[in-house]
Amino acid sequence: MRVRYSGAMRFLGCARRTYACAPLWLGVALLAQGVWAADYVGSNVCRNCHPDIWSQFYRNPHYKSIASGKETAENTGCEGCHGPGKDHIESGGDRDAIVGFAELAPDQVLNACLRCHVQTISRANIRRSEHTEQDVVCTNCHSVHSSKAPRFLLAKKQTELCYSCHTSVRAQFSMPFKHRVNEGAVQCTDCHNPHGGFAATWRMAQRPQMMERAGGNEEPCLKCHIDKRGPFVFEHAAVRIDGCETCHNPHGSTNAKLLKRPVVFTVCLECHNGAGTFGRRNNGIPTQDATHNMADPRYQNCTTCHVRIHGSNADSYFLR
Amino acid sequence: MNRRNASRLAACVAGITCVCAQSTVAPSNEPTQDPNGDNVSNYSIRQSFEAGYRWDTTGGDFGMYQSTVNYTNGLRLLASSLDVQSRDGHGGLFDQIVLNTQGLGNDPYQFASLHIEKNRLYRYDLTWRSIAYVNPAATVSFGEHAMDTTRHLQDQDLTLFPQSSVRFFLGYSRNTQSGPALTTQQLFDANGNEFPLFANIRREQNEYRLGGEVRFAGFRLNILHAWQDFKEDTPTDGTPLPQGNNPNSLTTLTSFQRSAPYHGTSPYWRGALFREGRFGQKRFWTMNALATYVAGQRGFVQDEFASGTNRIGALTQLQVATFGNAQRPAFTGNLTFSLFPATWITLTNQSSVYNIRMVGDSYYTQFTNGSQGAQILPFTYLGIRTVANSTDAEMRLRPWFSVHAGYDYSTRLISSVEGGSEVGVPFSALTAQQTNQLHTGVLGFRLKPIASLTIRLDGELGRADHPIYPVSEGNFQAFRGRIEYKHRSLRLSAYGRSDYNINSVSLSSFASHARQYGADASWAGNKWFSIDASYAKQHLYTLGGIDYFANRAEVTGESSLYISNIHTATLAARFNFKDKADLSVGYSHVQDVGDGRATPIGPGTLTVSFPTFQYQGPYTSQPAFAAAQTFPLKFLSPMARISIRVSNRVRWNAGYQYYGYAEDFSALQNYRAHTGYSSLAWSF
Repeated sequence: MRVRYSGAMRFLGCARRTYACAPLWLGVALLAQGVWAADYVGSNVCRNCHPDIWSQFYRNPHYKSIASGKETAENTGCEGCHGPGKDHIESGGDRDAIVGFAELAPDQVLNACLRCHVQTISRANIRRSEHTEQDVVCTNCHSVHSSKAPRFLLAKKQTELCYSCHTSVRAQFSMPFKHRVNEGAVQCTDCHNPHGGFAATWRMAQRPQMMERAGGNEEPCLKCHIDKRGPFVFEHAAVRIDGCETCHNPHGSTNAKLLKRPVVFTVCLECHNGAGTFGRRNNGIPTQDATHNMADPRYQNCTTCHVRIHGSNADSYFLR
Repeated sequence: MNRRNASRLAACVAGITCVCAQSTVAPSNEPTQDPNGDNVSNYSIRQSFEAGYRWDTTGGDFGMYQSTVNYTNGLRLLASSLDVQSRDGHGGLFDQIVLNTQGLGNDPYQFASLHIEKNRLYRYDLTWRSIAYVNPAATVSFGEHAMDTTRHLQDQDLTLFPQSSVRFFLGYSRNTQSGPALTTQQLFDANGNEFPLFANIRREQNEYRLGGEVRFAGFRLNILHAWQDFKEDTPTDGTPLPQGNNPNSLTTLTSFQRSAPYHGTSPYWRGALFREGRFGQKRFWTMNALATYVAGQRGFVQDEFASGTNRIGALTQLQVATFGNAQRPAFTGNLTFSLFPATWITLTNQSSVYNIRMVGDSYYTQFTNGSQGAQILPFTYLGIRTVANSTDAEMRLRPWFSVHAGYDYSTRLISSVEGGSEVGVPFSALTAQQTNQLHTGVLGFRLKPIASLTIRLDGELGRADHPIYPVSEGNFQAFRGRIEYKHRSLRLSAYGRSDYNINSVSLSSFASHARQYGADASWAGNKWFSIDASYAKQHLYTLGGIDYFANRAEVTGESSLYISNIHTATLAARFNFKDKADLSVGYSHVQDVGDGRATPIGPGTLTVSFPTFQYQGPYTSQPAFAAAQTFPLKFLSPMARISIRVSNRVRWNAGYQYYGYAEDFSALQNYRAHTGYSSLAWSF
């Protein structure tokens, strides 16, 4: 779209878009809708100067628009994204006469891509996602012409893309106990939606954010850990109310089984202390009874007896 | 600076060939493919394979090595890829096939993905994974819950007419876990003994999906129905007969057998509706709604037989038979409305509802020495209903300055019924209900004083009036800051984050204070050299009130203090020698220094002041707790890999990676492992 009126704007002394020029741009853009429709030259012309891109372009998912032969000029091939090329060609390749994505502001990049890639269920929240609000838009992760990944035109391997900003998460995946992300068996997108997810419903404050979810709008942990899903006759209420993160660090931990504490009984006793109005009956989370002698190491391994700690069908104390 | 430059820089950074994360030494990253591929008929084909031998030698605790690394000896197809593309977009049965694999041939982490597409007609995606999961977890249940299992996961999705306004989806997912494991059982009464038992884990879940999406009047409606079946048939037996954990107990086990089939379905519906509308050239709004309903149900039967001697040495036979079912219907809904009245402002309101009910009954019958006890019918109900609404605004006041602010309100109602009866006896139950309201506010800004520099700061404050657990979010506050500098192929960043959470009640208190700091740098300025380094520190300081029994005396007023200081550093560098060879080196170091104690027990009872903003009282701890509250360890892994180009289509690779794991307080689980590989990668 931009190139249709870029010549006119330069004529008007407004070669670069600024907010002050916005009304002018708008007027010219509306005028341009019908006037410069013939400015599209077709992708075959582009390949004369960009043979390196064109020779590989049939591998690009965007090639579909050319292959179909049914798309309108503004929705197909090079000009589908870069705008009409007539000015660019007539000016001998002037970079300002064509839409270059490296030159666009983040919201312009987003708008350009969403012209076609508008909402699917996985991208339904992209405009208001945390990434978009931080100006992390399509071209920060996707490279349309020089992708290094086999799918989705990712600029780099997915983990490297995510780690390049999320350095604290990278440290967590370096721990001895972790989900196997660095090993390639698990990917960030198994649990997260980088395009912005619907607000999490399973905890308070609609957190955590940008989560992928299991089928029934549940925590993504249950996509793989099928045995923890239940339903059980006797649910460990903490699992359902505050989620798996009550006891586990999902990315990585120095503790076995991704626990938040090195030894199990401290995880348990920090809640089961009978204090205050906590718990489902408002009278504190039940304490252990006198048969539990915490001076004896036997009793410091709670799950040795309470084996079904995530939920049981046979015993309300999760003993079997 | 202006936003165009910012975006240009972002795009530059995305293109940097970064060495980034410390991954495993194999497979190799260096490409062998001819980027142009070979033309066959109307298709262009590119393919590559990397096959080689992986080796390892380990010393120390092999179980812990398996749990944290687990690469073993053998021939592997370390990686492969196949890319078939129709050159004109008018192939026969397909226009595109993309196949990628990793670790096939008995690596512990195997992965394959397949994508087949015929433009406008169909799109098929398959993801397959095999993940070996070994965990001795000596610090959990004395290591008696060890397992050596394999998970197989696959997801298949077929989309019909993927580019049209009416699309159909079919999907199938399968998830299995199988392999030997240990579990434990406490017998024959509360003062009995615990016995490790062998369990052969067999779990399986199948999910079938059918759905469609249609566009009409600017709306996009997506409907999906799925049928999810789960079953577990894990038999447990006492062969060979185990010794109990308590050598002084007279409780012994002479036979044990348990069968506990557990089957059920969780069919669910998911409906989503989207709409994006414009008012004016640059103003628009979006509306997204999502609703799901799951009707989960499981039926179960459990039959358990054990014989042995009880705690006074008398012969005992115990049979427990249980059957029943559990249901958990759940409804969730999301409604998001975003308004973009100008290019500089985004307003978003999100509402969500979560309503879940857990109901179950379990007929429990116990036979002791052949005599039947009462048949008990416990009944439990747990209902959770959460309603939340948040509003946030993102204002880009200047190209170099933006502000965001938000407010979230959540209210949760938890209803509980716990009760039961003996058969023929009236039902009795304890009922309870509680609510919790949480208010949170967020305020932050982003500053770009120059094009290459970004500074972000934000804070969050939350207040819950009735958190359900001591460790739940009560009164909390968080501060986050990040500074990032990007210029061409250089990127420098540093961040800091602190999270405080305080739950204070009359008898006890819980307070946690977590801080994270880190910095990283990467540079890929030229073709022959790139480097990436990072450092992070995670500090956790928590204090929780505890109540327990020691020698039948209740101990109250004690506290559990947990201090963890984890330092993580990574370094990776890559050298390229005139396109003839590539050398990659890396190092990863994780060290938890705990609370600085040199011995696990320490000086006995400790007194520490907890320096948080609310709780200033003393902390005392029993030696047993002090011993459990710190777990200093080191986990380090240097690696090196060389890849030599033999020809345009063949490379020879070799690599070495060392893993060292050492716990400071015990050598029981320590190990060191030398791993390596040599491989040929070729394309043809």
